Amino acid sequence: MRITRNAVAGTAATVGMTLALAACSSSAGTEASGSAAADGGDAVETVKMCALVSDVTSSEALAFRDYYTDYIASEFPVEFVYSDELTDAEAEKTAMEGFIANNCQAVISFASADRPTQLDMAEDAGIYYAVATGALSAEEYETFKDYEYYVGAIGPDAMTEFQAGYDMAQYFIGEGDTSFGIFGGGIPYYLEMHINRAAGMLTALAEDGTTSYGGATEMGDILGKIYADGTIKIQDFESDVYELTGYLETWDFDAAWQASMAEMIAADPDAILAVGTGNAILGSAVDGTDIQIGDIDAYTEDNLVAMENGTLGFLAGKFTSINGPIFAATLSAVQGEPYRTEDGSAFALSQGYWTATSAEEFQEIVDADNVESPVYDVDTLSPFVATGATYDEFADFVGKYTFADLVG
Amino acid sequence: MGSFMQRATGTLIIPVGVFAVVWTLATLDGASLFSSGDSLLILARATAVTMLTTMALAINLNSGRFDFSLGAMALASSTIGASVAINVGGGFPVMAAVTVLSGALLGAFSGFLYVTLRISPLVSSLGVTLLYEGLAFTITGGGNISFTQYPELVSFGKSLVAMTAVIIIALIGVYTVFDRSRFGSDYRSLITGQAAAVSAGVKEKGNAIKTYAVSGALMGVVGLIQASSKGLIEAGSINFSTIGIMFTAFLPMFVGGYIGRYSNDKLGYLLGALSMSVIGLGYSALKLTSAQQSLITALLLVVFLIFLSNEERVGRWWRKVKGGNRTPQQPSDTDAAQSVGTGAR
Repeated sequence: MRITRNAVAGTAATVGMTLALAACSSSAGTEASGSAAADGGDAVETVKMCALVSDVTSSEALAFRDYYTDYIASEFPVEFVYSDELTDAEAEKTAMEGFIANNCQAVISFASADRPTQLDMAEDAGIYYAVATGALSAEEYETFKDYEYYVGAIGPDAMTEFQAGYDMAQYFIGEGDTSFGIFGGGIPYYLEMHINRAAGMLTALAEDGTTSYGGATEMGDILGKIYADGTIKIQDFESDVYELTGYLETWDFDAAWQASMAEMIAADPDAILAVGTGNAILGSAVDGTDIQIGDIDAYTEDNLVAMENGTLGFLAGKFTSINGPIFAATLSAVQGEPYRTEDGSAFALSQGYWTATSAEEFQEIVDADNVESPVYDVDTLSPFVATGATYDEFADFVGKYTFADLVG
Repeated sequence: MGSFMQRATGTLIIPVGVFAVVWTLATLDGASLFSSGDSLLILARATAVTMLTTMALAINLNSGRFDFSLGAMALASSTIGASVAINVGGGFPVMAAVTVLSGALLGAFSGFLYVTLRISPLVSSLGVTLLYEGLAFTITGGGNISFTQYPELVSFGKSLVAMTAVIIIALIGVYTVFDRSRFGSDYRSLITGQAAAVSAGVKEKGNAIKTYAVSGALMGVVGLIQASSKGLIEAGSINFSTIGIMFTAFLPMFVGGYIGRYSNDKLGYLLGALSMSVIGLGYSALKLTSAQQSLITALLLVVFLIFLSNEERVGRWWRKVKGGNRTPQQPSDTDAAQSVGTGAR
């Protein structure tokens, strides 16, 4: 192939145009999912509820979606419209514009690249907006809590994410493990939940007197260092007891990524602490070794198999119907009864994970909560949909989310 | 073509230079390029994937056909292959056969659409990209295919012998098809002068469809390697997310084109892919963050494009530095003629 200036310039121009096309197209369409199928729904107006999603492939995301479109849509007068996979703030904005143009009455957001813009757009359009499986930062909450159409947020807050990473590391420390690899996932993209989880892991290790990360031993200092570096530097980990044998981040799967993964596996740590998608990404690589994975993911069949064969030692996962309460609050708002705190603000409530460290515990959780028979079923949610329930009653309901609370 | 020494130097200077620089940097940092037992496997696997993608991109681009659907073909073919193997059985041989065959058929269909609709290949391939992403999405129901419960399907991507064999077989196969066959002769004649070739009886539409089919088969192998090495197929997006894989092929393609002046462009694609894989190992050895890696890779592409666009100026500067005034060896007329043209449109 002869390389001319025109070929080079043409290729560069085409690459640029393609990237622009891809960026635009990522949010170009939406997919209607679910239907208004409430029993006796002829007399009840169907509410069009739209979901912004940044993940459409993981088992967790699929389970959340099935819960809304298969279960909730069959029990309540609601129709769900889902966005495409939203990869950046611009895509989210385009999807929001589409929702507004399509007369969505409420937006439940699972996408967090630019929540302030989402909130402003919803407020301007006069449609209700809620944050699912997440939370606004403290600064964002102060800014938006008085918005008329901001319903609120339910999900793991920063402290819950930190605690999940901390609990994972503590579990393996309790098992007598001393050498660890860390999979940092989206840390270089400043994915807050991943940074908080990793900080929790390092803080747990730093409880040993000889251990520190870049000289830091406290949660705040460790978080600050991760934010400053945009990564985890294993050379900055110092300990007489524990060893950090490898670190991997992102999901590139290119030569450099694979080499880093191979190096981490070859170092033969006792466990790899993953901020998320650990078994999906590393399960195949650690198969046949004694390395166990700690993961924060979902209760899927693959994770169950991994836990049965010993590859997965610890799993903190959101349960399938965890998004039931935020749906109930959003529908209640659309029907004229939004929940507001004592000072009239939108709510910010936290929910955490269910944890399994054995196949038996895992199976117990799967049996207790699934799309066909969720713990947040119609009987549980209905008392909180425009029935006059108070904020305190709703907050109490949301706060009792543990396995023991909901299953017994 | 120049002397053997000139050809050998032109062919090897980039891969050897890249290896020397990366190895030196790693050594100075106290690291090793081959620090784990899997380093050679990773090198071979990354080289195979990049080389196959580069070939799949270049064989159509040489004819002026920009194909955005390469990644989508890899995704759709591997999704079909894995689904058949999981649901019907037969293990990896069935998965491999179905994946490569599906890739060829998907490629041929893409070529058929292009020659039938007579619209820009850039536009038609964007449509095909969405179509194939949608196909994979439909097959999987929007989820991922995990091989956690099918360990026999992941052995291929973890075998150094298999990856080396893929490289050798693909190189020989593509060289034979495009440089040593009647089809390849027609392909090259269409590149150098489509009107004359058609007048001489070459069927440009059939040639284009077959070229797309070969491209699809190559991407089928890429999909097979990626699926079996990752143990996972992510098929839940219909948003052009598969386009990204072709960008990994640009630098090796330009490097291959440069090397092709001195030997053979197919060998050039292999050496370009090898160079990129060595750089990847270097990133890991030097413990560069993903952001640093992206920046350096982009800089390398820009610098190489600047070099290619200013090659004569660089040559004059180099001769000035050396104090000589000899005329540099130019590519042969045959090589230049082979690489110009528009091919089937």
